[in-house]
Amino acid sequence: MRWLTAALEWQSRVVVLRHLRVYLHNWHTAFLPPVGEPVTMLLAFGLGLGGYVGALDWRGHPVDYPTYVAPGLLAYAAFMTAVFQALFAAFIRMRYQRTWEGQLTTQVELRHVVWGEVLWAALLATIYVLIVGLVLTVFAVLGLVDLDLAWLPAALPIAFLAGCGFAAFGLCFTALVPTIDHMNLPVFLVVIPMGLLSGTYFPITHPALAAVSAVNPLYHLAQTYRGLLLGGPVAGHLAALALLSVLMVVVLVPLDLRLLRRRVLGD
Amino acid sequence: MHAVIPMLEARALVKHLGGRRVVDGVDLVCLPGQIHGLLGPNGAGKTTTLRMLYGFLTPDAGEIRFQGADVRGDLVSAKRFIGVCTQEDTFDGDFTVEQNLLIAAEYFRPRPDGLRERVGQLLDRFELRPHARQKPETLSGGYRRRLMLARAIVHRPRLLFLDEPTTGLDPQARVAVWQLVDGLRADGLAIVLTTHYMDEAERLSDVLTVLARGRVVAHGAPKAVLGDSVGEHVVVVATGAEVTAALLPWLAPRGLRKPATVLGDWHVPLSAEALADFARAFPHLRYEVRSPTLDDLFLKLALEP
Repeated sequence: MRWLTAALEWQSRVVVLRHLRVYLHNWHTAFLPPVGEPVTMLLAFGLGLGGYVGALDWRGHPVDYPTYVAPGLLAYAAFMTAVFQALFAAFIRMRYQRTWEGQLTTQVELRHVVWGEVLWAALLATIYVLIVGLVLTVFAVLGLVDLDLAWLPAALPIAFLAGCGFAAFGLCFTALVPTIDHMNLPVFLVVIPMGLLSGTYFPITHPALAAVSAVNPLYHLAQTYRGLLLGGPVAGHLAALALLSVLMVVVLVPLDLRLLRRRVLGD
Repeated sequence: MHAVIPMLEARALVKHLGGRRVVDGVDLVCLPGQIHGLLGPNGAGKTTTLRMLYGFLTPDAGEIRFQGADVRGDLVSAKRFIGVCTQEDTFDGDFTVEQNLLIAAEYFRPRPDGLRERVGQLLDRFELRPHARQKPETLSGGYRRRLMLARAIVHRPRLLFLDEPTTGLDPQARVAVWQLVDGLRADGLAIVLTTHYMDEAERLSDVLTVLARGRVVAHGAPKAVLGDSVGEHVVVVATGAEVTAALLPWLAPRGLRKPATVLGDWHVPLSAEALADFARAFPHLRYEVRSPTLDDLFLKLALEP
């Protein structure tokens, strides 16, 4: 169980702090995407496409499309942030910047590096959900979306939990792809389809998608956020999200360690 | 009189990678204030051995002791007193030179005392003060290496591993790094160094271990290693059909193989007695006699089956 307790050891915190320092150092470029993306998406999908879609049904009540999409944007932000940190950012640190190699010559061990990446990706996902949440608050104040903002703070710990699972998932591909060009495979074949077909932008009604959604943590994250911000039952989706996220961490972090031990240490 | 406890003692190290036994029974001892050079051709197992010694890889067999204690008991604690300067640059490109040193210290517990002062001392000692607020990527190769060295010792280690510390540097920068490493030895650090540069190994090392195919093939002071493994003299003779025809029958009965060819010349290692025989046997042959170097050792190892 050393792999699990490593998450709480000081070395993992130091790795997270290092990544946080880099982010804060580059805040002017790191800050723009989480602010710009939801604005663009809400304008394009919400207000642009929404004009053609009209109202959607949510728990027997009609909601306009921008309002329906807004919680999905939060879930999408958490998912994409965590996964892309664990994919591209981690790969660059591992392969090109050699950050991991430098860390591994100290009292930091590979399990701390892995947990540092997972926890950092989850923390960044949480930060981005906070930023997107602030943008949605502005949109709500402007009357462009109708959300129960009192529940917005609850989105943060949920984002962190889900982010851990998404990051552990992303690190598997980081351990396996031979070059950064090969990242196209998981991104275009798994991540983007998953991001779009998980109830984030439209209701899942197709039987095949609905069947897959039962074991799709992003679907449960989107539905949890929708329940919180639009009103409706949350417990079932939150429980499913928690279970799936914990499962992903428990299964994938040891797998990540095994794959990365071979990749990074050659062992 | 108390015996000095080795800072590092490795016995019978074995490591398999990719189904191959790349390190096969390597022993190594390094004392405080000593530089132990680890040499060998490509694929000899130097880097794998070094990586086991600083805890990057786990040996399949053998033991490693740090200040008498088996590191398997608590490798993380042992690493508090180990510094590593890898061959490739691993500093944080997003931070300045000074920030790199401060952040490097964060990876150790207990934290080094008086860190700011320590970083200031290192900036001065390694002549990095004028570059303290620059990003490492703006530095020349020599100064990047100084930063890597300074990072490796910011936490005041007692044992230092240097993996090819001057590869890719110009001669002036190499000499500067040698002087810095020599200064660290004078401070009492135990240093294990790998290098491809024969002059570096001969000038810096107090003790040499030569690896070939994962095994120790020579060990001792540089001059003793050369004498035992290569010979006392090296005869350099330009080859041609006549010379080859004459020399090969002379070499064979003395148990000497066809020697290494370097730019058309044979480099033949000989003992003093064999050199006298050679001079008598080939009075009209033009040749040069020089002292052996580690290049000759490498060439000999390369030719061995």
